[in-house]
Amino acid sequence: MSEKKHWQTFGEHSNSEAFKQSSENEFHEDLQTEGLFDAKTPRRDFLKYLGFSTAAAALAASCEIPVKKVIPYVNKPENTIPGVADYYATTYVSGGDVVSVVAKVRDGRPIKLEGNELSSITKGGTSARVQASVLDLYDTARLRHPKQFDGNNFQEVTSFDAFDKLVAGAMAGLTGAVVLLTNTITSPTTKQVITEFLAKYPGSKHVQYDADSYSGLLLANEATYGKKSIPSYHFDQAKVIVSLGADFLGTWLSPIEFARQYATGRKIDEKNPDISKHYQFESLLSVTGGNADKRYTHRPTETGAVALALLAELGGSVTAPALDPKLKAGIQKAAKDLLANKGKALVVSGSNNTNVQIIVNAINEAIGANGTTINWAIPIQWRQGIDSDFNSLVADLDGGKVGALLVYGANPAYDYYDAEKFKSALKKTKTTISFNDRLDETTELCKYVIPAPHFLESWGDAEPKTGYFSLLQPTIAPLFKTRAFEDSLLKWSGSNTTYEDLFKKYWSDKLGGVNGYEKALQDGVVEPASSSMSGASFNSAKVAEASSAIVSMKKGSSFELALYQKVPIGIGAQANNPWLLELPDPITKATWDNYFIVSPKFAKDTWKIDLADRRQADKFEVHPDRDVIKIKVGGKELSLPVLIIPGTNDNTIGVAVGYGRQSTKAENTPDFIGKAVVGVGKNAFPFVTFNGSTIEWSALIDGTPEKLSETYKVAQTQTHSNYEGRTEVVQELTLEDFKKEPDAILKDRNEELKNYGGVKSYKEQGTLYSQYEQPGIHWGMSVDMNSCVGCGACVVACHAENNVSVVGKAEVLRYHDMHWLRIDRYFSGDLADADSIQTVFQPMLCQHCDNAPCENVCPVSATNHSSEGLNQMAYNRCIGTRYCANNCPFKVRRFNWADYTGADSFPDNQRGVVSDVTMMMNDDLSRMVLNPDVTVRSRGVMEKCSFCVQRLQEGKLKAKKEDRPLKDMEDVRTACQQACPTNAIVFGDANNKQSLITKTRQTNEGRLFYALEELHVLPNVNYLAKVRNTDEIEGTKGYKKEEAHA
Amino acid sequence: MALLKYESQVRPPLVDGTKDYHQVTEDIVRPIEMKAGRLWWIGFLIAVGLLCFGIYSIYRDVTYGIGQWNLNKTIGWGWDITNFVWWVGIGHAGTLISAILLLFRQGWRTGVNRAAEAMTIFAVMCAGQFPIWHMGRVWMAFFVMPYPNTRGPLWSNFNSPLLWDVFAISTYFTVSLLFWYSGLLPDLATVRDRAKLKWRKLFYGVASFGWSGSTKHWQRHEALSLVLAGLSTPLVLSVHTIVSFDFATSVVPGWHTTIFPPYFVAGAVFSGFAMVQSLLIITRKVLHLEEYITLEHIDVMNKIIVLTGSIVGVAYLTELFIAWYGQNKFEGWAFMQNRVNLFSPLGWSYYIMMGCNVISPQIFWFRKMRRNLTVTFFMSVIVNIGMWFERFVIIVTSIYRDYLPSSWSTYYTPTIWEIGFYLGTFGLFFTCYFLFSKFFPVIALAEIKHILKKSGENYKETMGEAEHETVEEFAHEMEHAH
Repeated sequence: MSEKKHWQTFGEHSNSEAFKQSSENEFHEDLQTEGLFDAKTPRRDFLKYLGFSTAAAALAASCEIPVKKVIPYVNKPENTIPGVADYYATTYVSGGDVVSVVAKVRDGRPIKLEGNELSSITKGGTSARVQASVLDLYDTARLRHPKQFDGNNFQEVTSFDAFDKLVAGAMAGLTGAVVLLTNTITSPTTKQVITEFLAKYPGSKHVQYDADSYSGLLLANEATYGKKSIPSYHFDQAKVIVSLGADFLGTWLSPIEFARQYATGRKIDEKNPDISKHYQFESLLSVTGGNADKRYTHRPTETGAVALALLAELGGSVTAPALDPKLKAGIQKAAKDLLANKGKALVVSGSNNTNVQIIVNAINEAIGANGTTINWAIPIQWRQGIDSDFNSLVADLDGGKVGALLVYGANPAYDYYDAEKFKSALKKTKTTISFNDRLDETTELCKYVIPAPHFLESWGDAEPKTGYFSLLQPTIAPLFKTRAFEDSLLKWSGSNTTYEDLFKKYWSDKLGGVNGYEKALQDGVVEPASSSMSGASFNSAKVAEASSAIVSMKKGSSFELALYQKVPIGIGAQANNPWLLELPDPITKATWDNYFIVSPKFAKDTWKIDLADRRQADKFEVHPDRDVIKIKVGGKELSLPVLIIPGTNDNTIGVAVGYGRQSTKAENTPDFIGKAVVGVGKNAFPFVTFNGSTIEWSALIDGTPEKLSETYKVAQTQTHSNYEGRTEVVQELTLEDFKKEPDAILKDRNEELKNYGGVKSYKEQGTLYSQYEQPGIHWGMSVDMNSCVGCGACVVACHAENNVSVVGKAEVLRYHDMHWLRIDRYFSGDLADADSIQTVFQPMLCQHCDNAPCENVCPVSATNHSSEGLNQMAYNRCIGTRYCANNCPFKVRRFNWADYTGADSFPDNQRGVVSDVTMMMNDDLSRMVLNPDVTVRSRGVMEKCSFCVQRLQEGKLKAKKEDRPLKDMEDVRTACQQACPTNAIVFGDANNKQSLITKTRQTNEGRLFYALEELHVLPNVNYLAKVRNTDEIEGTKGYKKEEAHA
Repeated sequence: MALLKYESQVRPPLVDGTKDYHQVTEDIVRPIEMKAGRLWWIGFLIAVGLLCFGIYSIYRDVTYGIGQWNLNKTIGWGWDITNFVWWVGIGHAGTLISAILLLFRQGWRTGVNRAAEAMTIFAVMCAGQFPIWHMGRVWMAFFVMPYPNTRGPLWSNFNSPLLWDVFAISTYFTVSLLFWYSGLLPDLATVRDRAKLKWRKLFYGVASFGWSGSTKHWQRHEALSLVLAGLSTPLVLSVHTIVSFDFATSVVPGWHTTIFPPYFVAGAVFSGFAMVQSLLIITRKVLHLEEYITLEHIDVMNKIIVLTGSIVGVAYLTELFIAWYGQNKFEGWAFMQNRVNLFSPLGWSYYIMMGCNVISPQIFWFRKMRRNLTVTFFMSVIVNIGMWFERFVIIVTSIYRDYLPSSWSTYYTPTIWEIGFYLGTFGLFFTCYFLFSKFFPVIALAEIKHILKKSGENYKETMGEAEHETVEEFAHEMEHAH
């Protein structure tokens, strides 16, 4: 190694002292430590703080952490198994409507209502409104705490005690009377509480007010039978039914009960076919009219004349005013049939005119209905309000005679014909208290508001018919700070008991102890062991007077306005219910609006639109824009779009009430009444007229309706109304023909399929492929078109059961509605002749074809066939090519065009893309109604009827656990089947020889058909042809001849 | 005995003018080596603009759902699948020219095949967008691929015509792309060899895969062309046949028709040639290639247009006849009411289809019209409008009113995003085409040179005298030439 030394400086070379010194201190400098360690934020801490705050700021600013709301039970409540539903019998109460129901409660949330089969009134039937009412529980507009109006706004009252103090102050030293204004109340315990409360305040009274008033009927019954009540009707006992404008299958009195009875009389026994004969005289085509065998139309003001003419024809000593000869002939025909079936006939009238109802009572007397089809032994209590009572109340309010008005249920500021007068009168009242679930039109005018619980949160009872009780029990703890109406009254009348205790005591006493009470609560109904039937003595004194009053009734010369209730909405009590708003009207198939209904002739005269001309009809029906007209009635104006509906009287313009809900300040509507009602239709209640004693649902229009230059889009789910003679889709025949040739349809089918050896071997011979065994269960459904009245209960039941999305008007307009089950409605007959129109209702759902055309076209097998014959959807697998929907001959598949369920995006992503209503349905509160057994479908996925596969699975598991075969009609029922008030739907295992579905198919061979059978798609849903008790089938007129030629 | 004539007396020359090989190279490669002109930039930017609008339209569709389009519960397919079939159809001309005409030794194809093949590839790229983006859950589109996966027994459904489409279109695209690119290799090498700029050398050097022009290369190239032509030929027939199965195998009246496969193929060739006409009439003008894409080419293609147009017309009439003769109520309705009835809501579309596809092309029975560029260009656009409406008529007028009158649809008009998607594919197509015409030889250089030996003025000049000589004289001359 070299010893060479390298040096940089001479100093280093010589290693001098000076160099040593300087190299040692080369970088020497003292550290500046002064103040660093004793500062408030030392340097290291500063870095810590910096790091923390940066991280925290970044975290807070950059990403929203999703909040997950899963709260496990720390202690499992007794009797509750997560994932297993509990069922509680309770009662749907809305105004005077009472329906016994069973609430399905999953994990503490009621999610579905079924009819209570123990009720002898409904026998398990429901209506669309009942089915939808569970959603009202989760309505976002519900009041969340008591409120007080401070002159500008409603302020929250922090506690009930504070509220009670306020009320006590307000009720003290009143100058006027205390008046309790409610709808019809059928509850015996509530009545008791009311009586106790009224007793506290001398001079106070209880006024019952029904917007859909039956005063005419009540007063007529008082005049002729001496009873101010309504009897039970028995449509099932009637061989001949004549309805003078009563929509008893849709909206009149007790449609669920009547529909069931009616369907009983329409059931066909193929061995001995006979059905009732149903005449309908009306101005607008109602659901009931749509089911009628023979239908005649007249002006609304002619209702009385028609009744008189009928009475005259039946031998009554009255003279009827002149009527149109065709109408007259119809009345004669009806009278003839009625007389031939004395004691087995029934006439009902939807009129609210006392005189008309007196005449109808006389008619029923003449045909022996009293005591046979009309039962006075069991009066019904649904409606008790008398119109003049409320009118005098308004006068009292106006005159300052009322010191305090307590409103419960009633909403006259919206649905009273002279709402303005009521509103101004209300202002003169010192103390106004409302018990309500929302700040509706009347409640927002009151000073004190106490939130009322939903019926699913309440204790209570109801007495729909005298002696027939239905009980309410809470199915969920109150969602909000609500207190029952009865509790408030008890409190304010100084009682210390709660309503719950009172209720419990009342029923324990009545039923002989707690055991009886608990059993009653479990059953939900308390009914007499046997029903009785009797008539009432008829007093004809008032008939002559009524007759002359009718003769002198003012008749319209121009157009007349007929107000009616729509099956889904009624008088609008559940107007903020998206399920109901999206449920198409059974007749017009329109959603989300009310509109004028006019006859084809009106359209032809006014717009030269001739719907009988296919070219024009085509153009008309494919565009949703409808002309708007303005009508005037006594200085009031109403402009609405027009729908042309066949079967409408030529001189009548119809409009539905129950729409146009709005707060005084329109911008408050979404918060006060609800988001769904915003912009939905217009209020037609101001056009109800008062005839001096009762309100009437018609009015004379001044002059001719004025056509405005604007158009308005009406969202219909079905635009083409004629089935074009396609007997492959719809089969109907007359009773006469059916009797003559019961196997005509079967013969036709065999003829059509003769190349395949007829019906029997079509399944095997109709294909090139070999057959495979299908052992085990094979699900099948049968829909009896003779029983289906088209009410739509099944459609809403399907919505509720299967989490079917609500899409809102804008989307329905684009034909994006999501209904899994729809009711196709077809008209036939001569458009120029309103009386000739026949209507068919055909529930259409996935037919679960065994040779399904949708299945083979899916590129990813997302839709496939189960071993039990179900056509099933694997949503997770679906990529959304929509090929299946195109290839579905029944067009029952529904595609998620947007994120309707909020399943796959943040709400912000949905805004502006889906409607506000969809947003409302996706609110955390509304989502509580979702059925946890059914997936909510995400955007881009196809969906459709599953035959309620979750119910099938549950039923099978139950049977398996109990180690037994499936019980037919018990273990598994689809939601639509269960909801149906007429049992039009039969569902079960078609491989089981003993099942009802097999038997139905065997015993109804003459009426059985499969829609589009010749396609060899092999549907598992069959239909039973509609049999009309009439002379001719309009739908196939002209087509039969064509076929004969071919 | 005089020599046999190389050049046909009846057929006009395939290349006009006196050109030598160098001149051909100059003519065709010049546009690539020049700076892009103003027209090119304007066109290119418009195309890119449309493409961006298309991308935004798709963004909306994917983010918010298919509800951005006006399809509905009755009409599940509308503009989307109409456009798909239309674009696929357009692609057909390219394959027909490159494959079938190659096998049939049609010399004239050389002038147009490169551009037509490029058009095929771009059209198929456009077509492919529609089945992809029309899916409700496009992010799950890979479910259609049958590959071993972890999703258990789930596998694609081989019964579904849509799956057949996936295979048909992807095969078609792959083969077309290979065919086109292998044909490009010698030409790219020519461009490379002439390149002076560095990037150009690099780009074309890589792109030409080291082509040296050796006999071995040429031999393999010819063999490959033949093999690919053989593969493509059945594809010309199969692709549109399979696309037609989407409809023909369904139960929808108006779709369920056995005539669809041949009728779709004829229609595809028809629209494809119309598109080739539209493009080449502009291209030859802008790039001054009139002498390579001659009136003769235009004429020949117009003959194909009138032939296929008439085949399509016969198919339309046959369909109508069968709809009546078959006495199927629903099919009868689909044809007589939904289509033939001019006053039905969408009846007008049937008449646009008939007018554009069947009646107007008959003008090409006249030679004068076949050789008129304005008429040809106008007609090529008309034919493609007609063919678009043919698909619209088939798809929409069948399903909007089928079996159940209750479900008959409201009037269908597209939303701006539906139109945007379509325009976007135009953007894609023309963006690609503009890039192609700028950076690739739009005419098959090598192949043109190949036919130059036996056609054109140049040939006549040099060979004209020789043709008059006897064989002996010629042979003698040749012997002493070197």
